[in-house]
Amino acid sequence: MAETYVKEVETKSYTKEVLVDFYKTMAKIRKFDENLIKLMAEGKVSGFYHSGIGSEGLSAGSIRQNLRDEDYIYYNHRGCNQKIAKGVPLSKIYGDFLGTIEGTTRGLGAGIVHSADPSRGVLGQAGTIGSQLGLSVGTAYTSKLTGSDQVTVVYFGDGAASREMLHGSLNWAGLYKLPIIYICENNEYAISCHVSETHSVKENIADWADGYGIPNCVVDGNDVLLMHEVVKEAVERAKRGEGPTFIEAQTFRHRGHFEGDPYDYVDVEILQNWKDTKDPITNFAAKLMLDKVVTEEDLEKINKEIDVEIAEAIQKAEAAPLPNPERIYEGLFA
Amino acid sequence: MRKITMRAALLEALNEEMERDETTVLFGEDVGKFGGINAVTKGLYEKFGSTRVFDTPIAEPTIVAAAVGMAITGNARPIPELQFGDFVGIAFDEVFNKMGKWRFMHGGQMEMPVTLRLPIGIAGGAGPEHSQSPQALFMHGPGLQIVIPSTPYDAKGLLKTAIRDNNAVLFFEHKVLYDMKGEVPEEEYLIPFGKADIKRSGTDVTIIATALQVHTALAAADELAVQGVEVEVIDPRTLAPLDMETILESVRKTGRALIVHEEPKTGGSGAEIAAQIQEGALFDLSAPIRRIGSPDVPIAQSIYLEQFYTPSKDQITKAVNELMEY
Repeated sequence: MAETYVKEVETKSYTKEVLVDFYKTMAKIRKFDENLIKLMAEGKVSGFYHSGIGSEGLSAGSIRQNLRDEDYIYYNHRGCNQKIAKGVPLSKIYGDFLGTIEGTTRGLGAGIVHSADPSRGVLGQAGTIGSQLGLSVGTAYTSKLTGSDQVTVVYFGDGAASREMLHGSLNWAGLYKLPIIYICENNEYAISCHVSETHSVKENIADWADGYGIPNCVVDGNDVLLMHEVVKEAVERAKRGEGPTFIEAQTFRHRGHFEGDPYDYVDVEILQNWKDTKDPITNFAAKLMLDKVVTEEDLEKINKEIDVEIAEAIQKAEAAPLPNPERIYEGLFA
Repeated sequence: MRKITMRAALLEALNEEMERDETTVLFGEDVGKFGGINAVTKGLYEKFGSTRVFDTPIAEPTIVAAAVGMAITGNARPIPELQFGDFVGIAFDEVFNKMGKWRFMHGGQMEMPVTLRLPIGIAGGAGPEHSQSPQALFMHGPGLQIVIPSTPYDAKGLLKTAIRDNNAVLFFEHKVLYDMKGEVPEEEYLIPFGKADIKRSGTDVTIIATALQVHTALAAADELAVQGVEVEVIDPRTLAPLDMETILESVRKTGRALIVHEEPKTGGSGAEIAAQIQEGALFDLSAPIRRIGSPDVPIAQSIYLEQFYTPSKDQITKAVNELMEY
């Protein structure tokens, strides 16, 4: 059965620069998200949006300081968190949501899915949830073909873990010892269905990986440093040629599956408890201040800088024009 | 010129392209040590090694998805095989939405140099899920090129083009044709996509046929010539892109068009070709456009009944004679 990843992680094992980078990334993700919701309320962005508020630690911790531009990621349906951590410019992501030519798709529109930035190893995302599990084994196989030490990290939710594709993916990853890291963002709910209603597991989703002989664990996904450590070990294992790792990162979403979701299928007290006691940003900020890494004023300054960065990104994305209608006839073939 | 089978021609194309480009990688069910159930990939595993040629689990969606995931890195040129073209149904989303659309959906930022090989066709009692010709389904799927050769020469030249192409290709191989011999030069050549081949010239009726049906149409044309009816047989060779220019030019000349394929008649590739002929040459027609396909029912397992699904020479000569009555 999957073991819970435990490690004594102290801030003093990190440089101040790295710790601040973790904080900044999480704060940037949250503010990006809050501002996107604002743009939706203003009627500027339509379509689906799956807020990643409440799970920022998972993405910031796993990606920052662990992955290089040449390492690949497939993000999940709350994947703006991962795209931002991987360094995709904010204006490009906003541009995809707004449908302007500033977006990564140069005006086709994207955001929750279909944004890509190959220069930063972000190879896109499927509209059919969980399909990235199949693509990711091919991408990881390419490292074997070329003899490179690039790793592939594939993110997916508890809901996507139900897809048949997970079986094919884990079987190939274990069989060919592929340099791939599975990160299951378990926020307990696939829209309205609790994981206990849709998954047949011994105890955890990570237990499934056991059957394929793939090292696995369960980890507190809201602890940014713990996430960093567990993924760091998995990346090192992959680079040593020892194959895949399956990490089930436990978290909870603060908002519904989509904007407009009444979110009435979750007990109000349970949700409040996650917000009050397990918020990854609040808890990390408190830790940094307690350990005297930063002061409250330092954090305020960082947050102000992020506000400016986000305002500029939105301005840039909004100022860019919509594409010409001919855009739809461009790029089908190379 | 030497004559070799289509199987040998395909294997030559694979060998040459894998030698030429070390980013090529070939995989599928039993394609490695065993050399494929149709023996098309024999010897490649021994020659190129187990990283570039490998057997996969029975997992069609993962086979196609992995090919897509390799291709979009820009570091690999995958040549996956589905053991039977019918199995494309299992991997439909991966083919239709991922192979075909990934590049477009992501703003054209990646290339999709995937050649997916799919053996098709009625070939001896294999039944309803190992005998189909599903190519027309993908004429409705943007981003997919559809290749369907009828001779060893075309098969080799088209497969080499497919592998070098930076876009997705579905390469349909009729199983009955694997043993058919034809002239293939020793020296290298490529055949471009979107260029139909006039397999026989004629002035009275245009037959547009694909795969095995090209040969049935040619046999019918021989017989009809004895009666004094000159049939032109056109093999589009690729259904996407489709060379309508060559087809329309022929139909304008003959004024009569017959489309023959092994796909079910309804919604088959012939339906699209017929629609485009009437859009482009209605007033040049002397007779209604005719189509011969297999019946619109699943293919029976019985080897006795199976023969009634494949368009026959007699069906073709009868249809041509009827067209000549106009």
